[in-house]
Amino acid sequence: GMSGTAMKKKVLLMGKSGSGKTSMRSIIFANYIARDTRRLGATIDVEHSHVRFLGNLVLNLWDCGGQDTFMENYFTSQRDNIFRNVEVLIYVFDVESRELEKDMHYYQSCLEAILQNSPDAKVFCLVHKMDLVQEDQRDLIFKEREEDLKRLSRPLACTCFRTSIWDETLYKAWSSIVYQLIPNVQQLETNLRNFAQIIEADEVLLFERATFLVISHYQCKEQRDAHRFEKISNIIKQFKLSCSKLAASFQSMEVRNSNFAAFIDVFTSNTYVMVIMSDPSIPSAATLINIRNARKHFEKLERVDGPKHSLHMRMR
Amino acid sequence: MGLVHFCRCVWALSLELDDFVSTGQPLDSSLSKIYHPSVHQCSGRKPFHVEPRNIVDDDPQKRISAEAAILNSRVHYYGRLTASSDMLLSPPNHVIPLNEELYVYSPLGTAFKVPDGDSASKNPSIVTIFAIWNTMMGTSILSIPWGIKQSGFTLGILILILTGLLMLYCCYIVIKSPKAIPNEDTSSWEFPDVCRFYFGKTGQWSSLLFSMVSLIGAMVVYWVLMSNFLYNTGQGIQNFVHNISTSDSEFGTNGSDRVICPFPKTNPEGNDTTCTLRLSSVGNSSDPGAFEHYWSKTRTVPLYLIVLLLPLLCFRSASFFARFTFFGTISVVYLIVLVTIKAVRLGFHLEFHWLDTSQFFVPEFRQFFPNFTGILTLAFFIHNCIITLMKSNKNQDNNVRDLSVAYLLVGLTYLYVGVLIFAAFPSPPLYKDCIEPNFLDNFPSSDVLVFVARFLLLFQMITVYPLLGYLVRVQIMGQLFGNHYPSFLHILILNIFIVGTGVAMAMFYPNIGSIIRYSGAICGLALVFLFPALVHMMSLRQDGRLSWPSAFFHSFLIVLGLANVIAQVFM
Repeated sequence: GMSGTAMKKKVLLMGKSGSGKTSMRSIIFANYIARDTRRLGATIDVEHSHVRFLGNLVLNLWDCGGQDTFMENYFTSQRDNIFRNVEVLIYVFDVESRELEKDMHYYQSCLEAILQNSPDAKVFCLVHKMDLVQEDQRDLIFKEREEDLKRLSRPLACTCFRTSIWDETLYKAWSSIVYQLIPNVQQLETNLRNFAQIIEADEVLLFERATFLVISHYQCKEQRDAHRFEKISNIIKQFKLSCSKLAASFQSMEVRNSNFAAFIDVFTSNTYVMVIMSDPSIPSAATLINIRNARKHFEKLERVDGPKHSLHMRMR
Repeated sequence: MGLVHFCRCVWALSLELDDFVSTGQPLDSSLSKIYHPSVHQCSGRKPFHVEPRNIVDDDPQKRISAEAAILNSRVHYYGRLTASSDMLLSPPNHVIPLNEELYVYSPLGTAFKVPDGDSASKNPSIVTIFAIWNTMMGTSILSIPWGIKQSGFTLGILILILTGLLMLYCCYIVIKSPKAIPNEDTSSWEFPDVCRFYFGKTGQWSSLLFSMVSLIGAMVVYWVLMSNFLYNTGQGIQNFVHNISTSDSEFGTNGSDRVICPFPKTNPEGNDTTCTLRLSSVGNSSDPGAFEHYWSKTRTVPLYLIVLLLPLLCFRSASFFARFTFFGTISVVYLIVLVTIKAVRLGFHLEFHWLDTSQFFVPEFRQFFPNFTGILTLAFFIHNCIITLMKSNKNQDNNVRDLSVAYLLVGLTYLYVGVLIFAAFPSPPLYKDCIEPNFLDNFPSSDVLVFVARFLLLFQMITVYPLLGYLVRVQIMGQLFGNHYPSFLHILILNIFIVGTGVAMAMFYPNIGSIIRYSGAICGLALVFLFPALVHMMSLRQDGRLSWPSAFFHSFLIVLGLANVIAQVFM
């Protein structure tokens, strides 16, 4: 194999033209979509994406299938290049598509390419735009698609999610994907719980750094709002967009009132932490010191058990 | 709890910071404390300590539902990701909650429901039907017996049914017409807008013109009738106070239920001067003579009304008068009761002479039937506002059914009044030909029931007249000057013109039968037959669904409308 310099590992976001990939990327990664970059034909996203995901993964977006022969040829000739070093394949299906056969065909050819070039990649299938399906039919339709996809994907194992940008399913699906990509996530969770109990926090959340997807959380009592993770993610991403207008980058935030104090801060190289204390008498400095100390501990955890380490070995 | 508070505050903070970043000006004065530390000591309030409160009323606080809150969060966030004109990430209709579930969300945490104007004014079918019946019921009800007399009893009934059906069909194609227009949002369009769409400026102006004809025609009829009723009211009071009996002066039946024939000739287009002379010969004291001099139906009373009505017409807003629309219903109901009582007391006097004329009766089929069609065209006219009336129907699928029921009820009402008055008209002493264009004229001023009817109608017309004037003003001023009230002078000139026409008619040609049939036929030609049929044929042709029978039928409708107008002149 030709490892040499560490090649960046990819997250491939693929699917038919118009299935919603650009919107999805924009929402998850807080990228501004300029009008003119859309629908001029297929998206050719060759290493232009600077979005770092989970530290060292780079997001690549490709349109797959359904365009003219020029694109087909380009796609086929660049195939090996595209499918090499893939850590994750996320394939998006438009639930309203009228050409199911064709969609499955393209999906299978992508899987073949994956098998050849990155056999250890994790495969996720998103059945997207589910808001266009009537509510009482959604489960049924999703189950059908899931069965078909699992069958077609053999010998690779794929995980299926149903998503829509207009409900919580998109955020949850991507959070699940990120959860599966974090190495030793269970260990992280145990440590997080301990940390929370030591500092007497009401709730502690661990976010992925680029997308503020929730990786793990601990809460000591029932919370009222089930959508709070997505809301916080939206708020922080909007705040980051505002900060970027000033060419500033978001680092940390503290919010207090008479009922609570909340801290958001960088944690490890891949994560942010959010700590909610309902005892506002504890001075901020104390909590911040605690967070800093915990940071060192968690960094060590992450470094030691990096699975990318083992994947790197298998690279060609 | 903590996290929810946090969400709110951070969201508010990010909004504030965003605004601060873009404009450099902090918005909320309480937050300005963090930028101007010197203000810290002003109140005991700590930053971000805001009590949730309702910003509109004191109802128990409503909190936003979880789904709405998260949708709100998404809409805010997605809005930052695209240009404001880009629809890529804007919520589709099926995602937005129904009107009933829309709240105004305050960042301070509370939400209140805004009562939606639109959904609040959706009426059940029965209310829509009643509104249509109420709007259609006009003063033409007074002329229906005369119309039946002009066309003959049997032919009259047939014509009423046929005309009703024809106009119902034309009304149906009018309400269908905005929906047949593709690619346009026609939800606020009325029929003149549809005409503008198909025929351009010409269509808009001509439909407006003919609409004006019907409105001004109605206002002229109102003036004539108001003069009539005011005169009779005054005359009745005068007779009652001075105990004058007028039974000798007028040709009519004897007995308690007196019916008179004001112009006892076979030609109903009576001569005014004859009547005046006869009445002035009654008085044997100087007072009644002077009273007749100052209280004449055609010479002075129309002018007295100017004093009352011209100021009312110049009001800027007509909403005050809209409160009195229920008077119209009371008047119609009272008329129906009155007609029933009269018919019961007078009994039926019907003889069927099919085509020959007899002294007391009229043939069943007469050549003057176009008079009745002209009256019916105005009696069933609602085509210029039916789209607006139907918009507030709760269940839009029932529009056709509700319209048909309304037309049926209107037709039945007219039929009831017309047939009963015609049948109960005491023919052996009087001639059926005597039935007046305003059937109340066939009853003397001393008749108490009819006196009350005249008074009710007078009051109702005084309240509707400014409304009609307002409609005319809004349409004319709006089209000519773009402003509903350009200046007092403009309005005054317009009102003087309208009132002048009414006064002139009341003084020199107070035959409401003719006024109604001419204005009905003319505006009916355009707004009932010509434009709806043309619009319907054009929309069918655009869809490629215009078949020969359909084209023939609709062209025939236009011919009928034209024939209606021409026949008014010759018959």
